[in-house]
Amino acid sequence: MMQAYIIRRLLALIPTLFFASVIVFVTVRMIPGDIIDLMLSQNDIAAGKMGREQLEKALGLDQPMWLQYWRWVGAILFHGDFGKSLWQSTPVSEHLMARLPVTFELGAMALVVGLMVAIPIGVFSAVRQDTAGDYIARSFSILMLAVPSFWLGTMVMVFPSIWWGWSPPMQFVPFAKDPLANLGQMITPAIILGCALSAITMRLTRTMMLEVLRQDFIRTAWAKGLGEKLVVARHALRNALIPVVTLIGLQAPLLLGGAVIMEQIFVIPGMGLLLLDAVSQRDYPVITGVFLIVGVAVMFINLLVDLSYGLLDPKVRYR
Amino acid sequence: MASVADSTLAVRPRRKRGPVLHFIGRLFREKPLGAAGAVVFVLFLFCGIFADVLAPYGMNQISPINRLKPPSLQFPFGTDNLGRDMLSRCLYGAQLSVIIGFCAAGIATVISVVLGIVSGYLGGKFDLVLQRFVDAWMSFPDLIILIVVVSVVGPGMPQIIVTLGLLLGIAGSRIIRGAVVSVRENMYVHAAQSTGASTFRILWRHILPNVMAPVIVLFTTRVGTVILAESGLSFLGLGVPPPSPTWGGLLSGSGRTFMLQGPWLALAPGLCLTVVVYATNMFGDALRDLLDPRMRGSR
Amino acid sequence: MLTRKWSRSLVAGVLGLALAGGAEAQQKPQYGGTLEVATMFATLSALSWDPYDWNWKLNHDTGEFYEQLVAGDLDKSIKKGGKYAYTIDAFLPPDAQRGELAEKWEITDKPLQVTFHLRKGVMFPDKPGVMKSREMTADDVVFSYERLRSSPKYISTYYDFVDKVEAKDKYTVVYTFKEYNAEWDYRLAWGFYSVVTPKEVVAAGANNWKNVNGTGPFMLTDFVQGNSNTYEKNPIYWDKEKLGGTEYKIPFVDKLVYRTIRDETTQLAALRTAKIDLLETINPRYLPELKKSAPDLVWSKRLTVLGSFMAMRNDVKPFDDVRVRRAMNLAINKKEIVSAHYGGEAELHAYPMHPDWTGYFDPLDKLPPAAKEMYEYDPAKAKKLLAEAGYPKGFTFTMEYCACSPDHVELAPLLAAYLEQVGVKAELKPMEYSAFLSAMTTKKHAAGYLMNSSHTNPTTSIRKSFVTGQTWNPALYSNAGFDATMDEVYRTPDETKRQKMLRELTTKIIEDAPYIWLPTQYVYAAWWPWVKNYNGELSVGSLRPGPIYARVWIDQELKKKMGR
Repeated sequence: MMQAYIIRRLLALIPTLFFASVIVFVTVRMIPGDIIDLMLSQNDIAAGKMGREQLEKALGLDQPMWLQYWRWVGAILFHGDFGKSLWQSTPVSEHLMARLPVTFELGAMALVVGLMVAIPIGVFSAVRQDTAGDYIARSFSILMLAVPSFWLGTMVMVFPSIWWGWSPPMQFVPFAKDPLANLGQMITPAIILGCALSAITMRLTRTMMLEVLRQDFIRTAWAKGLGEKLVVARHALRNALIPVVTLIGLQAPLLLGGAVIMEQIFVIPGMGLLLLDAVSQRDYPVITGVFLIVGVAVMFINLLVDLSYGLLDPKVRYR
Repeated sequence: MASVADSTLAVRPRRKRGPVLHFIGRLFREKPLGAAGAVVFVLFLFCGIFADVLAPYGMNQISPINRLKPPSLQFPFGTDNLGRDMLSRCLYGAQLSVIIGFCAAGIATVISVVLGIVSGYLGGKFDLVLQRFVDAWMSFPDLIILIVVVSVVGPGMPQIIVTLGLLLGIAGSRIIRGAVVSVRENMYVHAAQSTGASTFRILWRHILPNVMAPVIVLFTTRVGTVILAESGLSFLGLGVPPPSPTWGGLLSGSGRTFMLQGPWLALAPGLCLTVVVYATNMFGDALRDLLDPRMRGSR
Repeated sequence: MLTRKWSRSLVAGVLGLALAGGAEAQQKPQYGGTLEVATMFATLSALSWDPYDWNWKLNHDTGEFYEQLVAGDLDKSIKKGGKYAYTIDAFLPPDAQRGELAEKWEITDKPLQVTFHLRKGVMFPDKPGVMKSREMTADDVVFSYERLRSSPKYISTYYDFVDKVEAKDKYTVVYTFKEYNAEWDYRLAWGFYSVVTPKEVVAAGANNWKNVNGTGPFMLTDFVQGNSNTYEKNPIYWDKEKLGGTEYKIPFVDKLVYRTIRDETTQLAALRTAKIDLLETINPRYLPELKKSAPDLVWSKRLTVLGSFMAMRNDVKPFDDVRVRRAMNLAINKKEIVSAHYGGEAELHAYPMHPDWTGYFDPLDKLPPAAKEMYEYDPAKAKKLLAEAGYPKGFTFTMEYCACSPDHVELAPLLAAYLEQVGVKAELKPMEYSAFLSAMTTKKHAAGYLMNSSHTNPTTSIRKSFVTGQTWNPALYSNAGFDATMDEVYRTPDETKRQKMLRELTTKIIEDAPYIWLPTQYVYAAWWPWVKNYNGELSVGSLRPGPIYARVWIDQELKKKMGR
């Protein structure tokens, strides 16, 4: 049964990937102010029509849309070739390879922080439902969501530098080279991002805990005289955590792409900044590459989450 | 449409409250925080609608002699670097937020409902393919799509409203579809189908009412989400462009630049933004708690 | 005995005083340390490493390792008692020029040629996997030129004036011209594109940063796109710096790092906490706070290289009428913009000619009345002119501007407010960077186009903005007489004559008012006091800071003393 489930999910991925690639390709090609104009305007002498055609040919932009799409998809599928940056002539895959781990790392750290903040608050909130404690905890959580992350980031960057002459480290060091320096730079944005994410997780944790707390076997455990803490920890929590796993899937898009703001403020070379730079320079291959990879990465994370969910909760498999 | 009960019990004094009033009563009694959120929400709506009347100065009234004045009686929220009154700017910002928030949330809700109902009710191959499209769409992070799309169509209010509406709408259709699917197997629906009722009638009278609860909740929280999303876009330079005084634009523009010389430039829009988003979330939470049958009766 | 002791202590005392006084002026430079810079392009990473791409930003990133024939003479900089600040993006008058790879050069009339005599013994360092250390020769110069010329991105007509180039011998390069071009030195010797690249690097792939190798003071050792460039000292660099009478091998620092920081507040925080030693562009509005929170910083002020203006499309109504254009200028209170919007930190008249261009620049009070009037505020006269031109009730037009420029984002509504007072309504249309730029290059931009343009050098500044059909001519200004004079300027070898002609052209264009002329802002650079032998210089060529950084040294004891 499990195999059938896996196969079904994988097959479902194919049309999804196709739609995704079309969405990406069409959206990006519709960008006005195309790269030729941008390149032409960078030089201080008027380029005649010859200059324009020369450039178009050099950049491969002189062919019809569908041919470009076919070439692009073909290159990716058969050669793993995402094309070359139009400005730098360096392979896009190189940029992606360099940036993706950084974004993953920041995302993973933010996720952990988010869970570390959300689950205790969620549990506490559920157990003390509708008391002052519940309200305070929930308010705090939603406050984290309501204050824009760029504002929190700015304050963390500016005020300590004025008061104490300290700011979060800005030199990017790859994890392999110096793990501590790398983590030192990532931890501040990870905390801010994680706190913002925690609101959703907290809400769900609270809901699931409430559900579970009401169930019979909990009442039985209470009746048996087991201490509250034990009941909560052993029975309730374990069951409540299952859907939290699905949350990782839900938050994956946020973590993979939504960290743009943190990347900008804390000088982290991730996928978000790569996209921003590419968009302002109309570097089509890079834009489409980032767009596509992020989408595909999210799909695969969701696939893994779904599969693990299926493992954890047998009811799901027979759907 | 007098009820049978009314005519037979005409003697007894009627203490019948409308369902809406009853609901509001429950809200205030059982969910005080959510009620507070609702009050703020209504206040926000009010300010937004009547901004033209409430604002003491113009939205873009430049007066260089008054630049960077701290809050005073004349300018309760201070002035910015071009001498514009912040209170007025924030009120007009509320108007913009109301427009953007409600329109985008509205578009999103319509899209969610249409997609969700059609996909959920019709099922079969159509549902399968459509859901793959929704999958694809949802795989892309919101901000990424926004960045690319806003660069495609340029910065501007209508573009942002439509884009955000589309984005949230397609994502939200999942939830509606789930609700539709669970109702689809309902007895009433089967009965209606067997008596040959038209599809439209079934959708309208049976499916839609049961889907209203998640729709309302989604709409409320979406307003806050949209306002937050616009502020993020503003920071990246892709939001509604100045001089439009969206709260996000004010916060990430003059708020950040003059953060140290004029903290009121950030405090005013920042507080407005935070309070409104907070309120919509609390209100939405309360609505979900009250309307969602699963949570009903949980004490 | 007493006398001897007295005299000895006297001598000691005098020597001590001399040393102390001298120490302030001529400290002995130290070697070592890292210089971290957020350059004037701190938000933009390297766009390309290969001259073949004809990219404007090339020198800024490659100038540390790729050298050119000629560069600016830093001995003539202000800090050494000279008169050049080297803060202009692309201007080197003849007496500011110093041979870099070329030791000397001469231009002859018949035949019309320029001969460059190259320095001997300039070596390319070892680059494992690419090339072994070898001497730079005339062949390298010829190779680089021909390669540039053959690129598909070659700017058409750029080198049309050159007939041929040849390496006469190992150290002599001769360019033969078809005709004289006043920009020959700019285009061939110290311009944006003419760096010398060895053929081995090209063979290995010149656009891959891992392959680049040049004769310059540094070597590129790391590049994290959108984040940082790391350069390390070239141990066999040929040039020396003279300080206090002694010649020192350069560079002084072991490492040079460019920090790419997109966010302004992060840049400032980095400066405050000494994570960067030098921040080259600071908006004046941050000054009061920075002076309070980091009082030890050293400051320098300069006019920004970008001049702002609002171009009016001369080919559409109503801006085809010079009276309307002049009215638009009179309607704006430019003095108030300087005092209120820029807080006094701006120059009323500094574009299209830069005040530092002695001989080419006429200050405001020297301009004839018709030109001077363009900087005055006279709304009554503006309304009169508008009525005369047939617009007594004013008119409406669209003003496009880039949402990417924080200054213009605030300036546009300010301009609109002034114009409204004379009945002209401006509909503001902010645009995203690329869309904005391409509207201009495709000539689809609106009637009003608020933008800025870099000064570059006196000849280019006028030519690129006002000659018919040029890309950077958003007003679509077209005047046959103007074009003809400009052509003549290019063919005039006598600099004094050229200066006069350009001054006259400038006056004419101000009077003709294709633009609303706007003030040019001052910006600041700040660095920590342990950064020595630096005084705010930005470029000794065309956007080329490499040689400047090579001469900077870090006072590491001072740095430690200040707790960093």
